Amino acid sequence: MWRAPIAPASPEAGPRRDRIARIAQLIAPRRHALIAGVALAASALAACSSPPGTSSSGSSGGTLTVAAFNPFTGVDAAFGPEMVAGCQAAAHAINAAGGVLKKTVSCKAIDTRGDPADAVTAATSMVATTSNLLGVLGPSSDEADATAPVINSAKIPMFADSGEASFDHTKLGYFWRITPADDVKGYAMALWAVNHRQLRGAAVFGNDIGSQSNLPTLMKAFKQLGGKMVITQALAPDQSSYRTEVQALIAAKPQVIFTETSPQEAATYLTELKQLSGRLIPMIGTDGTLQPVWLGAVAGAIGKPALHQYYLGEQPYAPTSGPSWSAYNSALLAAGAVVPKPSQWSTDSYSMTDYDATIAMALAAVAAHSTSPAAVNAHIAAVTNPGSGKTIVHNYVEGIAALRAGHQIQFVGAAGVIDFNQWHNSTGGFELAGYATNGNVQEIGSVTASQIAPLMNP
Amino acid sequence: MLTTLGFGIQTASVLAIAAVGFTVQFGVTNVLNLAYGDVMTASAFAAYALSGVGVGGWWSLLIGGLFGALFSLALNHFLYTPFIRRGASLFVMIIVTISVGLITQNLLQAIWGSNFFSLHLSPGATIHPLGMVFTVSQLYIVLVAVACLLAFHGLLSTTKLGKAMRATAADPELARNSGIDTRRITSLAWMLSGFLCGLAGVALTLEIGSFDAGTGGALLVPIIAAAVLGGVGHPYGAMLGALVIGIATEFAATIISPTYKDAVAFAVLIVMLLVRPQGLLAEIATTKAVAA
Repeated sequence: MWRAPIAPASPEAGPRRDRIARIAQLIAPRRHALIAGVALAASALAACSSPPGTSSSGSSGGTLTVAAFNPFTGVDAAFGPEMVAGCQAAAHAINAAGGVLKKTVSCKAIDTRGDPADAVTAATSMVATTSNLLGVLGPSSDEADATAPVINSAKIPMFADSGEASFDHTKLGYFWRITPADDVKGYAMALWAVNHRQLRGAAVFGNDIGSQSNLPTLMKAFKQLGGKMVITQALAPDQSSYRTEVQALIAAKPQVIFTETSPQEAATYLTELKQLSGRLIPMIGTDGTLQPVWLGAVAGAIGKPALHQYYLGEQPYAPTSGPSWSAYNSALLAAGAVVPKPSQWSTDSYSMTDYDATIAMALAAVAAHSTSPAAVNAHIAAVTNPGSGKTIVHNYVEGIAALRAGHQIQFVGAAGVIDFNQWHNSTGGFELAGYATNGNVQEIGSVTASQIAPLMNP
Repeated sequence: MLTTLGFGIQTASVLAIAAVGFTVQFGVTNVLNLAYGDVMTASAFAAYALSGVGVGGWWSLLIGGLFGALFSLALNHFLYTPFIRRGASLFVMIIVTISVGLITQNLLQAIWGSNFFSLHLSPGATIHPLGMVFTVSQLYIVLVAVACLLAFHGLLSTTKLGKAMRATAADPELARNSGIDTRRITSLAWMLSGFLCGLAGVALTLEIGSFDAGTGGALLVPIIAAAVLGGVGHPYGAMLGALVIGIATEFAATIISPTYKDAVAFAVLIVMLLVRPQGLLAEIATTKAVAA
């Protein structure tokens, strides 16, 4: 799953840009060898202690633990700190309001290393040794398939940041997901294009699994909406040329290109498109293309004005204004003692959803009058989903006040409305962002969850 | 088909420059330099650095070539030669060159970060010679490749230096006994092949639009494939090998699928090597301890 571009994650956080196979396996790790070395050292350290900014042990009798179960080392090491930032912001807000049923909340980082095998061991250890575990943030796409059943068996609620479509109709009762599934991106891209009368599409995706996972729903939705995919290309990584592919694209005469490729592939492909055709074609990229490294590579290759004119990228919609976001941002900035440079996470949609998840679990506990994970799990949807007569609350303080007053509540999170379906997925909407010539990303428009829903369940 | 042929020629032009440099390096020095792709990248970064102070455009090719020559010479003088003097085997040298490549790549990453960079060159108008499609700048790169390879051919076949290099490649001991200063010839071979390496690095980055610390390394396998196909150590074979690989890749993308273009190109390589294991144009290859 590609991450939100706003996050100051390392450029290595995205899908691996597989290089052309080199001399067997001797050379393969060279590109990331330095990073791997650092990661190895970090792994060794992680084995001895929790990452900074988190509690160092399970919990005391008066403390509830929220586990941030994500990679803190390895190629996706950027995921963990992003998650902890959201958790710590929520813990600060909850504790400042008196805690959950008089118990304080702490965040504990559990390093999955982004590896399913390591993650299963970590999950087993976590559920066995962490007392007063309120709930889990994670797992990520790296380890969700392997570990979600383990956490579910322990009857601990988890808020996964996994994008895998396999969880779209999950039967795991303790699995919750606020972030959109990867395949939902395809629906949003198709909707935006058709709404802008771009009915001849070209699907240009990398041939890696991550990129290809967007295709089935994109194809389905685009056809369903009356569009025609005139050409579909799966680009082999790191070629010195894509001229043949570009020539085929030009011949197909698309009005829009849907894309998710590595920065190098995109830069080469679009450079050659510009050369051979004399002009570019409007394109809609996934959130992976909104990463600074992708934008930098393509802007360097085709020029900033061209990128500004022809490119849009979609990403999960997370407003950076309004009462819920203000509450999140205030709590985040106030947690500066345990979150290094907290402002870097102010507009990070993933940190926001982790904050929302922690607040939701805390409110569910208050609503259930119990901190038992099973009781919390049973009340999550009750405190988040819309409903008639519910009091809308934007933060923990408002939530516990309303609950104490005997009201039913709908917690609207920093990342927006949370509305879980029967499979515990809350899709949310997407925003379409453009590239400004000063290098920033700016919102152009949005596709709402209600627009996407009919496509998902026609 | 002609369009695809044109694309194949463009791909082959960069590959040919790189493959000739690689194969000469191995042929004369007997070092299978797997840091070659990373030297290409380092040369592109050198050209990029100077483009920032106004020395860009076509000058970048020359700057890249000169940097590649000096860098390769330095690598040989300060790293590879000491190992060779101590009797390092071919396998040990392969490990050393892999390490050098890894260090080079990570140094570039440490200096420049994990970002992408671009060398800017106006593509010029699009022209259609013989039904093929080229931009003016692409055509110039093809011409630069042809000119370099012709110059190299002239050097090898008509000058004393070229004859000395060929003699050193064929049998270093006999060449030394014949009065050839093989150390000097080896150094010159590193410089010349390094020049082609640097030139190829810049030409590649001009072609693909954007590059990072790993870009050159990604081309290493096709470079080696072209060199092996042509017959390791044989410059003309490398040129032909590059042409076959480049054209096969593009035709595979057109006829079968872009997804499998590498697979098809390398299947062609394997089939051709089954038929002619010594390579397309190799006499020297048989005298080299490749299998060692």
